[in-house]
Amino acid sequence: MDAFLQFVFSGLTVGAVYALVALGFTIIYNASDVVNFAQGEFVMLGGMITWFAHDAGLPLWAAALIAIALTSLVGVALNKLAIEPARGAPVISIIIITIGASILIQGAAQLVFDKQIHRYPAFSGDAPIEVMGATILPQSIWVILGALAVFVALWLFFTRTLMGKAVLATANNRLAAQLVGIDTGGIMTLSFALSAAIGALAGVLVTPITLVSYDVGVALALKGFAGAMLGGMGNPKGALVGGLVLGLLEALTAGYLSSQYKDAVAFIVILGVLFVMPQGLFGKTAAERV
Amino acid sequence: MLKVENLTTRYGRIEVLHGIDLEVAEGEIVSVIGANGAGKTTLLRCLSGVQPISGGSIRFRGEPLTAAPHKRAGLGLGHSPEGRQIFTNLSVEENLRLGGYSRKGATREDIAEAYEMFPILGEKRHLPAGGLSGGQQQMLAIGRALMSRPACLLLDEPSMGLAPLLQKQIFDTVEELKARGVTVLLVEQNAYGALKISDRGYVMETGRITMSGPSAELVADPRIREAYLGV
Ligand SMILES: Nc1ncnc2c1ncn2[C@@H]1O[C@H](COP(=O)(O)OP(=O)(O)OP(=O)(O)O)[C@@H](O)[C@H]1O
Ligand SMILES: [Mg+2]
Repeated sequence: MDAFLQFVFSGLTVGAVYALVALGFTIIYNASDVVNFAQGEFVMLGGMITWFAHDAGLPLWAAALIAIALTSLVGVALNKLAIEPARGAPVISIIIITIGASILIQGAAQLVFDKQIHRYPAFSGDAPIEVMGATILPQSIWVILGALAVFVALWLFFTRTLMGKAVLATANNRLAAQLVGIDTGGIMTLSFALSAAIGALAGVLVTPITLVSYDVGVALALKGFAGAMLGGMGNPKGALVGGLVLGLLEALTAGYLSSQYKDAVAFIVILGVLFVMPQGLFGKTAAERV
Repeated sequence: MLKVENLTTRYGRIEVLHGIDLEVAEGEIVSVIGANGAGKTTLLRCLSGVQPISGGSIRFRGEPLTAAPHKRAGLGLGHSPEGRQIFTNLSVEENLRLGGYSRKGATREDIAEAYEMFPILGEKRHLPAGGLSGGQQQMLAIGRALMSRPACLLLDEPSMGLAPLLQKQIFDTVEELKARGVTVLLVEQNAYGALKISDRGYVMETGRITMSGPSAELVADPRIREAYLGV
């Protein structure tokens, strides 16, 4: 039982990171129907820039803010330089562009930073907290709360605000969105900035636990994608639940089977979702979307 | 209200409007009729800015109209586009609310007014707009365009694909809009329906205006009767 709870805690921690990546996917997908595979690089940049700025002498909170701000700018640049010029191209081409961008960002990170593995101190120390015979790191609680907070904020944004509806309208019908007065270019900029900021936040929060190096993004993008697919692409609730469930499945697989199989879980989930329920747990059915 | 002079535009290298002159006075319903591919939709797209013009000028309420497309709804130019283009995955009410985006969202009163005009939309307010019938979608498209409280409304083939009874209902609605002080530029393939309710009309053929005048005169013109009214 203690072991089980321990696996659950570690599953929730990684799951919360996957959920944050999946939430980032959600925003860009909602605004443009594009799955942005560079999403994992935003997480990497969040961790890397924080480490770099902290190493240069800034307090951790300031380093984290700078990391989130700079990563947002990278997101905006990605949209302006790579996505927007390809507007009108089939969605699949744009997705391939995002994969290219992901490789480019990794390369740039290697040059600007380095190839080492880094970490910085946890926010509230490293003393594990005991809960019912298992332990959880204070930093894990930061990660989980971070994912929950972002989820609530996004859920309110998409369901309660006119701007959130404008994002959905932009994806659904860009022409009509312009005709009612929505600055669709601005909405895209906003979506990429927001999505990059969320990715960076995930990196900021999780680096003290999982460490960061220039190449951590790809795996995270895949896992976040699997989580988003599982929950249903485009739905914040789906992103949260899908990410957490995937994290739990991974941790339980690693715990009870072997950690060698852990990474296969995401792929099995992707395949399973595609075959069994393409719309995911909370996704709308095709009829509702069309 | 609206004055178009020598307007040209192109898709790629092909010019499709070759110098359009057209005027709409305040309070009028003006119709533009013409066959498939004449350029009617393109003209409206130029007016709302989603199609860039390559020559000529547009004046709206006395000022040159050069604002970015998304700013034109806020200037008082509403556009209910060809093919309705409603937000299919949002609810009916969300469509209407977004219709007033240029005014920070349609007010409760505006939306209630749309439901008064089209009661069926009120009944389906919380349903996804994609599930509406063609006629209902058309009502929603018009209602959404009205949510910005336009001084001038561009309507692109509102009767397209509708049964005759529904067509009549839509044309009645357009007349009602005029009574409320909305100026309307109405593009139609249903030439008879459009000319019957409009004050003046223009005939468009392959990117040019070939005839214009009071609608009553156009309806009586033998050339138009033959080409567009099938009599
Ligand atoms: N996006 C486009 N790219 C290239 N050519 C276009 C495009 N849209 C329209 N055209 C061409 O421009 C011309 C005018 O088309 P437009 O849609 O404005 O006509 P219309 O009068 O509205 O026709 P309809 O009654 O069928 O709606 C046509 O020859 C059409 O083929
Ligand atoms: Mg047309």
